[in-house]
Amino acid sequence: MKGTMETRQIAVIAEHRNGVLTPGTLETLSFARELESLLNLKTNIVIAGKSIEGLTYDIAGMTGMDVIGIEGENLDLYNCESYLAALEKPLEELDPAYICTPHSAMGYDLAPRLAVRLKASCITAVEKIGKKGKSVLFSRSQWNGKIILEKEPVVKRAVLTVLSGSWPEPDGRPEKTGEVTIITIAAETKNSRTIEIREAVRTGFDLAKAEVIVSAGKGLGKEENLPLIYKLSELFPKSAVGASRAACDAGWLDYGHQIGITGKTVSPKLYVACGISGSTQHIAGMKGSQMVVAINTDPAAAIFSVADYCIVEDLATFIPCVIEKYHKLFSSHKESE
Amino acid sequence: MRILVCIKQVPDSEGFITINESNGWIDFEGSYRMNRFDEFALEEALRIGEKMPVDSIDALSVGLPRAESTIRKALEMGASRGIHIITEESSDMSAFETASLIASFAREERYDLILAGVMAEDDMQSQVGPMIAEMLGYPSASSVIYEEIDPERRTLFAEREIEAGKRECLEMKLPVLLTIQSGINRPRYPALSNVLRARNQEITTIPSQSLQKPVKRERMVALRYPEALSKGIVLEGNEGEKAGSLLQILHEKSII
Ligand SMILES: Cc1cc2nc3c(=O)[nH]c(=O)nc-3n(C[C@H](O)[C@H](O)[C@H](O)COP(=O)(O)OP(=O)(O)OC[C@H]3O[C@@H](n4cnc5c(N)ncnc54)[C@H](O)[C@@H]3O)c2cc1C
Ligand SMILES: Nc1ncnc2c1ncn2[C@@H]1O[C@H](COP(=O)(O)O)[C@@H](O)[C@H]1O
Repeated sequence: MKGTMETRQIAVIAEHRNGVLTPGTLETLSFARELESLLNLKTNIVIAGKSIEGLTYDIAGMTGMDVIGIEGENLDLYNCESYLAALEKPLEELDPAYICTPHSAMGYDLAPRLAVRLKASCITAVEKIGKKGKSVLFSRSQWNGKIILEKEPVVKRAVLTVLSGSWPEPDGRPEKTGEVTIITIAAETKNSRTIEIREAVRTGFDLAKAEVIVSAGKGLGKEENLPLIYKLSELFPKSAVGASRAACDAGWLDYGHQIGITGKTVSPKLYVACGISGSTQHIAGMKGSQMVVAINTDPAAAIFSVADYCIVEDLATFIPCVIEKYHKLFSSHKESE
Repeated sequence: MRILVCIKQVPDSEGFITINESNGWIDFEGSYRMNRFDEFALEEALRIGEKMPVDSIDALSVGLPRAESTIRKALEMGASRGIHIITEESSDMSAFETASLIASFAREERYDLILAGVMAEDDMQSQVGPMIAEMLGYPSASSVIYEEIDPERRTLFAEREIEAGKRECLEMKLPVLLTIQSGINRPRYPALSNVLRARNQEITTIPSQSLQKPVKRERMVALRYPEALSKGIVLEGNEGEKAGSLLQILHEKSII
């Protein structure tokens, strides 16, 4: 009988672009491995696409996990309606206790609807698995990363999305290869159709080459404070100015400056975050920095948990103070008074 | 064309959040305001209303009595009607419960377009919008950064933001639900005439008990502060001393 603890499964819905699994999917596989080992479950990978047979076998070899490939004409590009139609039946049949997907643009588009459709619990942006007695708990951040909630599904199925950067990509190749099942479906989509994917607009602005990035957040307060950020960045050779999305939304900086999951990913020698709270979406774009300095008025700001040097100050007065001290200490040529 | 915008009242990020004494929920000191992403959603609805004939732009919030101020803000921005589904408990309301309440209200109203934010700044779940769409059987797209409606064909073209600024373009048949990403527009400041109109405007209130009561599908087991993952050093002293320490550190590391 399906549904007993011993036979229940984990399903990972794989996301792929241009014939390869996304990094988020690989991280989700590591998440599934951890869940497997806690509960003695078995992971199946479910992947949908137009002609994905080759990829399906590759994945079975690479992971050693069983793979269900769902092929359909309208599955060429991700579309919520066509994916739901394609996944519903195979998932019902597999009856997994946990359905996992990366917390990506695909994941958070699909997961909530899938959960409603499959009468499942839905926990998004999971960053840690815990165990308390018999319960398996999933941790996620709330309130700008200031507090973490541990949640437990109370129905027999759960759809989970896995926050990027929380699990490593799996390494090593397994000895055995997984089993492959290919299903062809003729799911028609009546109400929604994905037309194309447009590449990002090139801004000609090169944050990737900068050795030092000074970034402004909403804490800048007003556009008139922007010169402070530029002046601070000018203290460093090979520097550039970055921004949080909220600073771009305010119109203070162009979106070409945006760092984060929907902006640029950077890994400079030094990253200075000024008035940035440290949302997971921002941190995803700068956590590879060699050194992080954060300036924020709020000692509980999440940015401090990824900073090497934490400065609890008002940027509007602190930055001028740094610039002034710099000139006193290091400038050989005194500015004319 | 009838439009619904879902707006959530959230604690302002400048406020002070702690875990409460019973370890059951949070205490918050500070002010409440409209979720930033919902402001973009409401602005988008208002712009649609300026481009084509629209019968009504309703702004709906599920929440405690204090959420009324956020609904009033929506009226000030230009929403035609405010709707408040009043709840009594302030603690963890699951996305499924919120979506169920909104869907049971919206089902009767037959909206052509429902807009929500891509996520609520407080619980950061990104779930409520797509869940409403599933409950109502509407097509949906999340993280929308551009939309265009063809009223004759009753279709909606949308661009949703995916990784690294790429955009997925799709076409859907109305009725549609979109979750709106920030940056799609620049939300307006309320016009004085609207502020005056909003002051006395009636808000439709619906006790949540009068709607179908959804059952929680997950429960919160614990709240905790993040572990200080950081090997981070907190610079001490007054402002000048901190500035001095920072420069010295950067100098020692040969960055400056
Ligand atoms: C799908 C999706 C994708 C996203 N992608 C990105 C992305 O790529 N990049 C990104 O950045 N965001 C992204 N976001 C938005 C993200 O969730 C946050 O809303 C955003 O990062 C917040 O920016 P912020 O830290 O500047 O603003 P806030 O969160 O408002 O923080 C402002 C900070 O400034 C501090 N402050 C205030 N005054 C001062 C002062 N005088 N001096 C010093 N500090 C001060 C405050 O204490 C606070 O910590 C995305 C969101 C979604 C839903
Ligand atoms: N209590 C609520 N009242 C009205 N709308 C809500 C509520 N909670 C969430 N929403 C809507 O759903 C979006 C996503 O919220 P969430 O799924 O909680 O991240 C928000 O931006 C709102 O548009």
